[in-house]
Amino acid sequence: MFTRGALLYIGQRLVLIVFTAVAVSSIVFLGIHRLPGDALLNERRPDPGAERELLHYYHLDLPLSQQYFVFVGGVLHGDLGESLVNRSVRITPLLLREARVSAEVGGAAIVFTIGIGIILGVIAAVRQNTWVDYLATTTSVIGYSMPNFVIASILFLVFGVLLYKWTGGALYYNSGWTGSWGTLDQIILPGFALGFPYASIVARLTRASMLEVIRQDYVRTARAKGLTDRIVIVRHALRNALIPVVTILGPLVIGIVTGSVVIENIFGIPGLGKEFATSILQRDYNIVIGLFTFYAIIIALANLLVDLLYTVIDPRIRY
Amino acid sequence: MSDLWVGKLRALRPLAVMGAIGVLVAACGGSTTTTSSNLAADQTLRFPSDSDIGTLDPAQINAETDVELYQNLFDGLLKFDDKLNPVPDIATKLPDISSDGLTYTFKLNPNAKFWNGDPVTATDFIYSFSRAAAEGGNAYGTDLDHVVGYDKVSADTNWPADKQMLSGMTAPDDHTLVIKLISPWYVFNTELALASATQVVDPKVVNTDDANWWSKPETAVGTGPYKMVAYTPKQSAQFDAVPNWWGSPKPTVQHVKIDFIGDMAQGVAKYEQGGYDLIGYGGMGSDTPTADILRIQADPTESKQLHFVNKVRTIWVQYGFGFAPFAGDLQSGPAHDIRMALSLAIDRAQMVNVACANGITCSAATGGLITKGLKGYAGDNSDPLAKFDPATAKTLLKSGDPTGSKTANLTYYYDPNKAIYKATAENVQAQWQANLGIHVNLQPVDHAAFIKNYTAHKYALFREGWQADYDHPQDWWDNLFIKTGGSNGGAFTDPVVEQLVAKADAEPIDKAIPDYLAATKQMEADAAYAPLVYFKGEFLFKSYLQGAGSNNFNDFYWNEMKIGTH
Repeated sequence: MFTRGALLYIGQRLVLIVFTAVAVSSIVFLGIHRLPGDALLNERRPDPGAERELLHYYHLDLPLSQQYFVFVGGVLHGDLGESLVNRSVRITPLLLREARVSAEVGGAAIVFTIGIGIILGVIAAVRQNTWVDYLATTTSVIGYSMPNFVIASILFLVFGVLLYKWTGGALYYNSGWTGSWGTLDQIILPGFALGFPYASIVARLTRASMLEVIRQDYVRTARAKGLTDRIVIVRHALRNALIPVVTILGPLVIGIVTGSVVIENIFGIPGLGKEFATSILQRDYNIVIGLFTFYAIIIALANLLVDLLYTVIDPRIRY
Repeated sequence: MSDLWVGKLRALRPLAVMGAIGVLVAACGGSTTTTSSNLAADQTLRFPSDSDIGTLDPAQINAETDVELYQNLFDGLLKFDDKLNPVPDIATKLPDISSDGLTYTFKLNPNAKFWNGDPVTATDFIYSFSRAAAEGGNAYGTDLDHVVGYDKVSADTNWPADKQMLSGMTAPDDHTLVIKLISPWYVFNTELALASATQVVDPKVVNTDDANWWSKPETAVGTGPYKMVAYTPKQSAQFDAVPNWWGSPKPTVQHVKIDFIGDMAQGVAKYEQGGYDLIGYGGMGSDTPTADILRIQADPTESKQLHFVNKVRTIWVQYGFGFAPFAGDLQSGPAHDIRMALSLAIDRAQMVNVACANGITCSAATGGLITKGLKGYAGDNSDPLAKFDPATAKTLLKSGDPTGSKTANLTYYYDPNKAIYKATAENVQAQWQANLGIHVNLQPVDHAAFIKNYTAHKYALFREGWQADYDHPQDWWDNLFIKTGGSNGGAFTDPVVEQLVAKADAEPIDKAIPDYLAATKQMEADAAYAPLVYFKGEFLFKSYLQGAGSNNFNDFYWNEMKIGTH
């Protein structure tokens, strides 16, 4: 499937990702320990002996350099340590579970981003300067003009509160998260809120790209050969029009990952995004460091994936 | 573009709107099947919490959120009834106290058992208290500091291995427990009733994994009416009634499901959808968004489900007694006059209107710092520091700071993590400007840093507050207003107050109250603080819930609740 050159490229990138993860975790580790206060502070002051014991338990009594080596040693064993706020909660399994939850919502967001974005973009292009185009373009403008937390709040209000009242409780958005995997109806709204702003960007990009491509000679030739419009658009025009779209997928994935911080809090979804906000506010150092490292790895892998996608879409690209 | 292609695109439209349609395929609020009585067949209680469990280990527990859950899972010798009186729990009656006040003898209920079937014995209490004394200095293990042997055990840094027991605790037989104190300590019954360090654990279970036993359903073994059956950190927990529980009342609610959500606004929305039965349990009584409270209050149907309870938290302006212009001059003098002027220049009625949604979420602190409803509360409008008297305030300010130079560059520090802290800070700033003509700078500080700095006496003027641990004035005085108080952020000290508090701490509560109130009067004369507001808790209970409620401290016990048909 991959050429030797491609495998070498992937290997190089993976090594870089490891270095990136180490660099990010180091910066965050040093940075967060410079912040005033810590997770163990409370209005009710503990006796000094107990405070010392607690600091010792979490290795917080060691010099920063030694704390860092303890941390790195744990990371190398796949152990990000224990939460400072929620005793006995091991961070690695916690983040892995939360990553799965976020992946579900993020996956739905990407489906919305790509699905809605491309469909709107293609419709707008093939029906250029008609009411369909204007409607699709207006929808796009609305989408990327509104921050995702505004969209999320409106959706929550409409489908979670008002729809419940309008239908007398027969139909509504069931917020929260049930079980390990959530349910489809719990994922759709946050996925839409997270993905819609990016879908608007994809739609604009697809429209512009499609307008350029469908005027090119090879498309005219394809039509002259008697191919149906569907085949011309889907097989010939769309494939080439998608290259610039794929280019921005990397940043879009990053946006979706970081956007989940707000969306998961609004919808009460127990994923990485909610954890991110909570752990920073609670000064839960260990979780914050683990999360930043995790995010760095996810984003780096997403970028690698996008780079590899180029080769699939455009055979001229080789590594 | 051909019509055929447009037709194909039309065919795709259903896919494009699938998301919107999917949203409409949402869960329906299920109606509850009813039994022949007026109780619902499904006795499952559901509510949200915006905080996950910190710990359920008696030796470590110190957060209100945890205590609210924990009190349903573990028992001690005593517990509080719904009116905050210490009553027997595993003890069959209140203890026999020797005439010198040093020896407490308890008789234990022979039927008491852990949910795994292990019987509860007096030696289990010795083990549990000793473990809490050794490992619980960061929490409430210090509640046991009057037990003989505490100093030795609490200094043991390797208790899980050493297992030193408190020498002041003995077990003449399995169901008799004797506790000796180093000096009379009439707060002891109250401390024993507090759901924290003084709860009994099963040594057989705890010894298997001293650090993590409480976090796993199979080893989170307690004596309470409920046990943990599922726990997904940062997501949810479920507690089920213990079959054939030894105590009473026997639990009617069979399952308690708690979601750890990020935003209580979402919790309120789900409550209104029928997804939750109540809002406010689990220490969340002050976290309901004010906008939701106001909206619900305006709704004739829903407003009946809204309940307000005075909670045990007060906030006030604290002066740093190590800093000019507030240091010294306890009863009179320029520093006293400045402190008094700042206090008298605050109109608390205006403050609660502005900062507490017309008094919905808090009330003016006019009866001393100990909140209304608790022992030691001085009485409505009894605190002269809470009076609004701008004319006198101006005169006092002129007396204490004739040139205005001492109060020219004051900064008020506060932590903006709760909206009410920010709102009260902005309000006092505005009132000092309007009523005294002085501009005080506001300096918001991150909560963790704020706590660290003020307990290290680094601020001259700041927001202080206290949430009572139990219903006894000693909890306030020993932590806040004496020289050795760990949370005495203002470094306030007055020899008269020290003497009165030391005397009161060693007296039975009925004799102690007048001494604590005398100390209150002394602090008022010192103008040691400027009281601001008492907190209120807001609760939403569905009309079909029976037995739900909260006192100043705690939610009512789950086993007192029933879910009616609905």
